[in-house]
Amino acid sequence: MKRSRLPLAVTWLLLAFFYLPIVVVVVSSFNGARFGSGFEGPTLDWYRRLFAHEEIWPAVVNSLLVAAGATLVSVVLGTTAALALHHFRGRLQRLHYALIYTPLVVPEILMGISLLLFFAAIGLELGLFTIFLAHVSFCLSYVAMVVLGRLQDFDDSVVEAARDLGAGWWAIAWRILLPLLAPGILAGGLLAFTLSIDDFVISFFVAGPGSTTLPIRIYSMIKHGSPPLINALSTLLLLVTFLAVWLSQRLRARSET
Amino acid sequence: MKACPRAVRSVLLAAALAAVACQEPLPVLHVYSWADYFKPELLKRFETEQRCRVVIDSFDSNEAMYAKIKAGAGGYDLLTPSTYMVGVLFSQGLLQPLDAARIPNRKNVDPEYLEIAPDPQMQHSVPYMLVKTGLAYSRSRVKDPVASWAMLDRADLKGRITLLNDMRETIGAGLKSLGYSLNTTDQGQLAQARDVVIRWKRNAAKFENEQYKSGIASGEFLLVQGYSGDILQVQAENPDVAFLIPQEGTSIACDELVIPRSAKQVVLAHAFINFLHDPAVAAENTSFLSYLCPNRPSYEKLPAALRSNPAVFLDAAVRARSEVVRDLGSDNARYVRVWDEIKAAR
Repeated sequence: MKRSRLPLAVTWLLLAFFYLPIVVVVVSSFNGARFGSGFEGPTLDWYRRLFAHEEIWPAVVNSLLVAAGATLVSVVLGTTAALALHHFRGRLQRLHYALIYTPLVVPEILMGISLLLFFAAIGLELGLFTIFLAHVSFCLSYVAMVVLGRLQDFDDSVVEAARDLGAGWWAIAWRILLPLLAPGILAGGLLAFTLSIDDFVISFFVAGPGSTTLPIRIYSMIKHGSPPLINALSTLLLLVTFLAVWLSQRLRARSET
Repeated sequence: MKACPRAVRSVLLAAALAAVACQEPLPVLHVYSWADYFKPELLKRFETEQRCRVVIDSFDSNEAMYAKIKAGAGGYDLLTPSTYMVGVLFSQGLLQPLDAARIPNRKNVDPEYLEIAPDPQMQHSVPYMLVKTGLAYSRSRVKDPVASWAMLDRADLKGRITLLNDMRETIGAGLKSLGYSLNTTDQGQLAQARDVVIRWKRNAAKFENEQYKSGIASGEFLLVQGYSGDILQVQAENPDVAFLIPQEGTSIACDELVIPRSAKQVVLAHAFINFLHDPAVAAENTSFLSYLCPNRPSYEKLPAALRSNPAVFLDAAVRARSEVVRDLGSDNARYVRVWDEIKAAR
């Protein structure tokens, strides 16, 4: 029987569909022509201007600070929320589940404007802290969902056995739950980090003076600035991401052997 | 300095050192504006002159900025909304009156622009940058161009034209082509303009606000409706691109400097407005941005190429027929309805 070529072709087409736009961005970042009217010779000019640009780097720092903080806090809160949802049943937990689930389905713009109204009403000064709070409020839900999925095929008898053998709750949490849930928690954390670092809509509304994050900055530059700088910045971000993925895979491969 | 005894000198030195060491935190001016809308060197100069820091946050549309300010986001000391949005902000009581005594440079503002501005006394807004809408075309491939909106009807360019995806700009162009005011609220005139724009739409490739720049630069489009500053930047890259302002008149948009009611550094914000209207500063900013800061004494400091450019300085007759897009309050709904009809038309 002759094997069909179709799956291979579809795979290639799909890969092209996913990755061609990225290739275009990378290539244009080296293009001397500002409006991409043609390829005017390879240049590092945009990178030079990017590094000299004084308003982009504070935005990068802001984004990283918020993402790191929001990830850390939402991982802790999300994991404990998932544990509570998994262990207890009842009306209260159903409400809890609904509360955790809501941010996943509420339109972002609604969440952004309502958070802004809330912060304004209680007189909280807008800034990095309010962006952080907003990000925690939606990242938490994603972490909780991912960890909850992991808990679904978690063998509760392991915990019971540990308790029989005299382990306290600290030992159970630290030496049983955490190692077994670690992949889920890590996945949730990564998801939270990515969501936080590229969130635009919610961040736009809750950002205050001096707390412009990278996506807000980029969005404004697309409309009213210099697109090639964004291409260069995106290329750098891609590089960092690929490096991080490659590193984590190497680490995992080493720990498995 | 012989008269200065050693002891006095060392005290002075210590004081100077102390001033540097336990410096009070510098006051910070928070500006909320479009990305890259001030020449960075000028900001540096202002920071040194006023011993302060300028922090700039950016928005991407008037409406998004308005939604934030209206919802109560405070802490911004200076905004740069477009004229029609100044009207909205003002009617909502979100702006504070400007203190004329703190802005002596307001005398430099071009009276010719103020004639058509909604706030000619500059009570709550000072114009910052003027933008004109016009038509850009490819010199080599568009034969016999005429400075008229009728260019959009040319059958030989069918499918190679873009129109702005902006309600007031595009309906405004339709109104202007008929000789009406682009701030009209007359239903009959609007209906006629609607038919004109629908005709243009059938001749055009699409409505486009961003990609027309690369489209005209690469030759994908041959005729685009666009903003003067953007086109001037494209021309720097592709000299084949030409720009014309239709003789029937066009829209002049202006971004204005305003101080929101919730501003904290009110004095510094006034100083910044005054600084931007220093003729030398205004000239530098204009050359950097390729828009036009309506600052009369700055004009003679501009490079000759900008001064003789009809897209920067409108010809007197065309200028007389051009208008500023104003906020129409509740009558805005009429434009929205016409725009919906245009978008729905086949």
